[in-house]
Amino acid sequence: MGEILAPKGVCFFAYNNDQLDYVKMALAAGMYVKKNLKLPVCLITDKGSESWLEQSQSKKHIKKVFDYIVVTNDEMKKNRRRHFDSPWTEFSAQFNNSNKHKIYQYSPFEQTLLLDIDYIVKTDVLLKYFDSDKPVCMFDRATTVRNELPALEERFLYDAGIKMWWSTVVYFDRSDFSELFFNTWSHVAENYEFYQYLYNFPSKLFRTDYCVSIAIHILAGMQNEQLLIGNFDNTELVNMSQKDDIIEVKNENEWVMLVHDQREVWKNILVKVNNQDIHVMNKRALDRALPEIIEALDAN
Amino acid sequence: MDERLEKALDFSNYALTINNQKRNIRNRVAQLQIVHHLGGVFIADHETIAFVKTLIDLKHKSSVVIDSKNNPITVKSLKELLEKLVNAYTSATTEFDVENEKLKKSRNIKKIMDW
Repeated sequence: MGEILAPKGVCFFAYNNDQLDYVKMALAAGMYVKKNLKLPVCLITDKGSESWLEQSQSKKHIKKVFDYIVVTNDEMKKNRRRHFDSPWTEFSAQFNNSNKHKIYQYSPFEQTLLLDIDYIVKTDVLLKYFDSDKPVCMFDRATTVRNELPALEERFLYDAGIKMWWSTVVYFDRSDFSELFFNTWSHVAENYEFYQYLYNFPSKLFRTDYCVSIAIHILAGMQNEQLLIGNFDNTELVNMSQKDDIIEVKNENEWVMLVHDQREVWKNILVKVNNQDIHVMNKRALDRALPEIIEALDAN
Repeated sequence: MDERLEKALDFSNYALTINNQKRNIRNRVAQLQIVHHLGGVFIADHETIAFVKTLIDLKHKSSVVIDSKNNPITVKSLKELLEKLVNAYTSATTEFDVENEKLKKSRNIKKIMDW
């Protein structure tokens, strides 16, 4: 474990690939954290991505957003991820996430909120979990921007499988239980193929959501019901799907989205999203909106 | 397309959009009503507020209160909990009212989107 430098803070992992500028998205997500949670931010990245961040973004922004930068040198698993940008465009890119469980080691905070770079914090709701008595919290429920349940494979590891927990937002403290949880996650990650056979989840992509779901299932005595891990008071993770798009940024808080129907993808509705934390899974859409978002955040 | 059907489909889209926005507001309000106190999780609703106020009216200063997750919480100061509950309730309902008023005035999709 590294040195503890601050009592509370937020961490982002960001490793660029040939398709997506993760550090730029981390910068914007970090700006939201600064605005709405007012906590220190730590970026965990590699040498190449850090160097790109310095070349592509202003020093003023980097200094303002990232209080700490941790440069890692972990070997990543080959992990091709299929992305959509609306129902009509798709691409694939390497997804570097196989060291996410090492956050316990990398985080410089006593109490950490680990966010994915596509999780946009538009409220201060998450702050209250720093005072919760749960050592680890994650979402175990999700909803679409249309307020519908996500697809079955996003709720269970397979049709008759255990329920899925989302590693998009992970709160943890430095208790013995937290350490046990991250060690179990690490064990599952290292023996992914075995657990894939045991839990019958799809094989194509290395998903940390599966790792945490299995780790929780093991620690809970192989049961779905458990009381050890908090689920953010049973609230839902709001997922903007990869097939949805951001069509207008009115200001840093208010976005208008074009949201597809899961059964008939061409049937879109408009949704205005404000005062709501949101998981923007269409990263290309987020990337397109970033100049306006950053400008709006700068104006404040 | 038959003009009557076109109008009906327009209205159908409007209904879908406004109902979704209403659900978003309700989700937000529900989040704002969650109060963490001494390791317990309480919902700032009429029932909890009335119950805590009743205990105070009956001259209880502290009490064991069952939280929303069915855990017993020793509340040392009922007054402090009541204050937290009322604050959360007030800020949630104020936001609810503001957003709801905006929606009530929006008679088409463009208005809902502020276009």
